[in-house]
Amino acid sequence: MTITPELLLNFTIAGLMIGVLYALMALGITFIYSIMKMINWAMGEFYMLGSYVQWALVVFLLGADYWFVGIIGSMILVFVVGLIVQRVLISPMFTSGMERRDEYGTVVTIALSLFLRNLMTVLSGPDTRTPGRFLPPVTLGTLPVSGDRFAAFVGALLLIFLFYLLLNYTWVGMAFKASSQNRVGVQTAGINILRIDQAAFAIGVMLAAAAGALLAPVFLVYPSNGAIATVKGFEIIIIGGMGSIPGAVLGAIALGLTESLGSVFISSGLRDVFGFVLLIIILLIKPTGLFGERERLS
Amino acid sequence: MQKRWAHLKNANYLLAGLIVIGLAIAPAWLGDYAKHIVILSLYYVIMAASWNLLAGYTGQFSLAHQSFAALGGYASGLLILYFKVPLVVGFLAAIVTTMLTGYFLGRLVLKMRGIYLAVATWAFSESFRLTIAAAYTYTRGDQGLPVPPLFQSLNPIWYYYLFLALTVVLLLVMYLVLKSPIGSFLRAIKDDELAAMALGVDTVKWKLFIMTFASTIAGIAGFFYAHYIVILSPVMLSFNEIGKIVIMVVFGGLGTFVGPLIGAPVIVILSELMRDLAEWNMVFYSLCVIVIMRTYREGIASLARRVLERFGMRRKIALANDKPTP
Repeated sequence: MTITPELLLNFTIAGLMIGVLYALMALGITFIYSIMKMINWAMGEFYMLGSYVQWALVVFLLGADYWFVGIIGSMILVFVVGLIVQRVLISPMFTSGMERRDEYGTVVTIALSLFLRNLMTVLSGPDTRTPGRFLPPVTLGTLPVSGDRFAAFVGALLLIFLFYLLLNYTWVGMAFKASSQNRVGVQTAGINILRIDQAAFAIGVMLAAAAGALLAPVFLVYPSNGAIATVKGFEIIIIGGMGSIPGAVLGAIALGLTESLGSVFISSGLRDVFGFVLLIIILLIKPTGLFGERERLS
Repeated sequence: MQKRWAHLKNANYLLAGLIVIGLAIAPAWLGDYAKHIVILSLYYVIMAASWNLLAGYTGQFSLAHQSFAALGGYASGLLILYFKVPLVVGFLAAIVTTMLTGYFLGRLVLKMRGIYLAVATWAFSESFRLTIAAAYTYTRGDQGLPVPPLFQSLNPIWYYYLFLALTVVLLLVMYLVLKSPIGSFLRAIKDDELAAMALGVDTVKWKLFIMTFASTIAGIAGFFYAHYIVILSPVMLSFNEIGKIVIMVVFGGLGTFVGPLIGAPVIVILSELMRDLAEWNMVFYSLCVIVIMRTYREGIASLARRVLERFGMRRKIALANDKPTP
């Protein structure tokens, strides 16, 4: 295969497009981490839930013409699930005077991930489902792109923009940022930190569900489809630095480009390995990631 | 108080001895399938106990443990397939590669704590899995790498005794390490690394040591397991595998020596008994883990001991009350 500038441009566009979708996943993980200092290992399962709700809504209720209503519906539903899960499983980390929060958070969310994935396999079977195609293909420059993939890209950009507005121009956003800097400080300012935690968790998993719903027609719907999304999300937050929002977005785009261009120049079979090579290199040079802050001892 | 504990300890040794003797004579009544389940349980006992050294005792929540078992298997399997080396060389290769890789991983995550370490070790095991799957021209990827069996005979009895001996030896080594001052250093690192450092514990040295040590044990277990199941595939590296080990240890009791010894066989035997229920098994176990973490975090082993202790104490009090007062 000869490499022409045109081809290079096409692969750059493809890399950017997938990068923005990765960013949605990574934002959720890093946002939850920045407030509660815990990693939600079940993030991919919320992505899976989002894609299943979208599939069910489109197939049984809405029909393919109203697919965008399905996306909003799945986001709302997973938001509510997130509120409940946080209340039952995560908030005891802070209310019951626990000593080893890291350990608890990791074990519980890993168990939750296995629970949701296997429960979905039991309930719906291991079959791969698709909500069908919603939109006709479009052409970007010389690159033909499936319409659904393009719609997912636009939807993800829109959500990232809304998330940015929420975080920077609203009172709640300020409270989120303050909580990520100092949990005790915001309490002295009269903010209920437990409510902030709950909202942050629900928003984080809602972003994952949005990614799942948007990508349902592209990457299809099956019980373990969240695994690859989790992998990409974690790679990005390590590359970008945990708890850093710009790190998540830039890391996601860097990963998208690396994968896309790496598969042109080196080999497309190794596509999934590039991210890890990038990650190990970053870990060796700067263990806290590009934008990560050094963790304080004790 | 002191005396009662000593009494309990002797009883523990006695119980351990009885279980080993029981397992040694059990094959007389066990069928091939039952033997297979025991072998499987013993493999997971080694894996769970060695992972417990990292997560339970030192606070190094590694998610790369299953990859060391696979690494041991693949190192030996690949050498035997391509260079026709004898089994002993394969065994030594398994030990050396897992030891070196464990040391390397230990170095990589040395400065990381808690969640960072979990994510970094996870990244390591995922990249290892993807590399194995991507290099299918050498490793045969998902098709599986054929590995020669250790014994010519198809009778599982040889493997049964091999795994029994292996488990006893490795558990004894782990027990002695934990009883030695090293065990206290590790616990000190888990409780408060900074304080441990201030008290003169060489935290760098012992963290590297335990990572290398636990990885080597996993590598040895993986070597024998690979030559028992005679086929290796990237499934052995999947996240489900480490998930299973976490479930076993948490179920039995994280950071207790008997925890994994109870948790691993219980989970393996339950899964085999309820094979027809397939995914319901995992749903049930993960739910159990969530409930255990929410309610009684020390696990089943500790719960059982506490019940026994209370029972013992009651009896003693009853005896004391029965004595005629002078």
